[in-house]
Amino acid sequence: MTPPTSAAVVRRRDAGRYALGLTVVAVPLLLAVLGPLIAGGPSPRTASFTLGDGHWAGTDFVGRDVWQQVLHGGRPVVVTALAATALAYLVALPVGLAGALTHRRWLEETLMRPLDVLLAVPSLLLILLVASAFTPGPVGLALLVALVNVPDAARIVRATAGQAAARPAVEALRLQGETWWRTAVGHVGRSMVRTLAADAGTRLTGVLYLVATAAFLGVGVAPDAADWAVMVDRNRTGLFVQPWAVVLPALLIVALTMGSNLLFDAALHKPGGGRGKREERP
Amino acid sequence: MSGLRSFVTRRLLLGAGQTAAVVLLVFALTDALPGDAAVALAGDQPDPARITAIRETLHLDRPAHERLADWAAGLLHGDFGTSLTSGRPVGQYLADGFGPTLLLAALTLALLVPTGLGLGVLAARHEGRLADRLISSVTLAVYAVPEFALGVLLVTVFALKLAWLPPTAVGYGTDLLAQPAALVLPVVVLLSRPVCSLTRLVRASMIDALASPYAAHARRYGVPGTRVRYLHALPNALAPAVQQLARTVDWLLCGVIVVEALFVIPGLGTVLLNAVAERDTPVVQGLAVVFGVLTVVLNLGADLLAHRLTPRAEVAA
Repeated sequence: MTPPTSAAVVRRRDAGRYALGLTVVAVPLLLAVLGPLIAGGPSPRTASFTLGDGHWAGTDFVGRDVWQQVLHGGRPVVVTALAATALAYLVALPVGLAGALTHRRWLEETLMRPLDVLLAVPSLLLILLVASAFTPGPVGLALLVALVNVPDAARIVRATAGQAAARPAVEALRLQGETWWRTAVGHVGRSMVRTLAADAGTRLTGVLYLVATAAFLGVGVAPDAADWAVMVDRNRTGLFVQPWAVVLPALLIVALTMGSNLLFDAALHKPGGGRGKREERP
Repeated sequence: MSGLRSFVTRRLLLGAGQTAAVVLLVFALTDALPGDAAVALAGDQPDPARITAIRETLHLDRPAHERLADWAAGLLHGDFGTSLTSGRPVGQYLADGFGPTLLLAALTLALLVPTGLGLGVLAARHEGRLADRLISSVTLAVYAVPEFALGVLLVTVFALKLAWLPPTAVGYGTDLLAQPAALVLPVVVLLSRPVCSLTRLVRASMIDALASPYAAHARRYGVPGTRVRYLHALPNALAPAVQQLARTVDWLLCGVIVVEALFVIPGLGTVLLNAVAERDTPVVQGLAVVFGVLTVVLNLGADLLAHRLTPRAEVAA
């Protein structure tokens, strides 16, 4: 069997993973938040895919300064992902809570069954389907990604709330004649926070993936947008002439997604055997 | 046995419902355009001839439910309609793109199962030690990374700097099997995410299974460790892994679309992206139905298989 690891070793290891995640995510996150502030106004365009000549990271496919594009390009990715995650919970929380706390079976079924069906459709496919009919902007993309995440989030909310609502404490509150609101929000809601925080972390990573991938495929972004994913796509044609225009944004996306996943995993890792038995989903 | 039968019936019903819902959803999303669909589909430069063609092909003068009924009836006979841009049957598009995509998916799946199982069992065997920590950290880090970013970096290193592999599949046509070098990077990129998730899942369930009373009991009877691991613990650890394998179909599908775009492989993903860009509704609809139904069927199969592996476990249905 495995050698018993002492609590101190586990704690130190967790701290190490925490630091690692934080370090990896810090660079892209700082660039995304502060980049637009220090980027300054647009500089004059020059020849495309050149290196040097006052542009230390070269120029992109239409002759813009790559470094300046990089400074501007993080914010759309991060903001869209955060908005989509928040929106998904805005819908999933009431639906899931209602599904778990209602005593009417038909209501639970009508709320939850359609979501089971939606779960069957691959997320990127749904986004591309909508993109074929409409031309969604950044707001549309956030809404779409949120919609794709609602079914799974609602299921988790319902499962967590169902567990919390089955506790004796909730029965006691009900017997005391507490209002539905106090039982649902005050007790059940509060005891769900930890599980939902863990889910929100993994969900945000998945959302980051989806937002970046959709932008790479040209959904929800202008063809010349300052966006790391768009930069990777558009500057690919010049990869052999000017690799920095592709490598720089690609590295930042890798660091952002990798770092956030490491960070959330370390932050939510329960000390003393919090083995993630939860199904991992994109 | 009634428990098993009722589970199978319920799961089959859900699958049927999901299939119908996929067809409805695809139709609703692509056909229910606001305003004049023909004008919207004709794009930025509406050409009167094209608008008339779209109206005729989509039968836009008829009510939506009749169009849906016709389309669905056509689907049952394998008739997916005709493309708006080329006038070719959609079935032909599907047939053209099918080969490369199937090859990619088959190669990926063939490598995914042994790699994921092997790494997961290896990590579980050395739980808490260096091998486990290494496998756990790398899989955790890589599994969130979008394929296009990883792929483009791999291309830069292995095609640009080292010149070991071709950067794209351009110029190789559809016969990719004859050019194994062009397949290495796409398959590696496609594998990256599913391998990580499968490894983590197999590791977690293997650790649980090895710590269970029946494994301890077998050990107490002097059953060798290898036998306990592979004949007693692994089958029980497999049920969640089988389900995860089906869930990764979703990922594989996303991955295939991105990887085909990245490496310029003429498969179904490229056909779908082109159709989306050209607003070729019948082609988009046909591909979406095929992809959607495939996902439903694979998930259904996986749930039934997982139920068969561990009949006492409650599987989602």
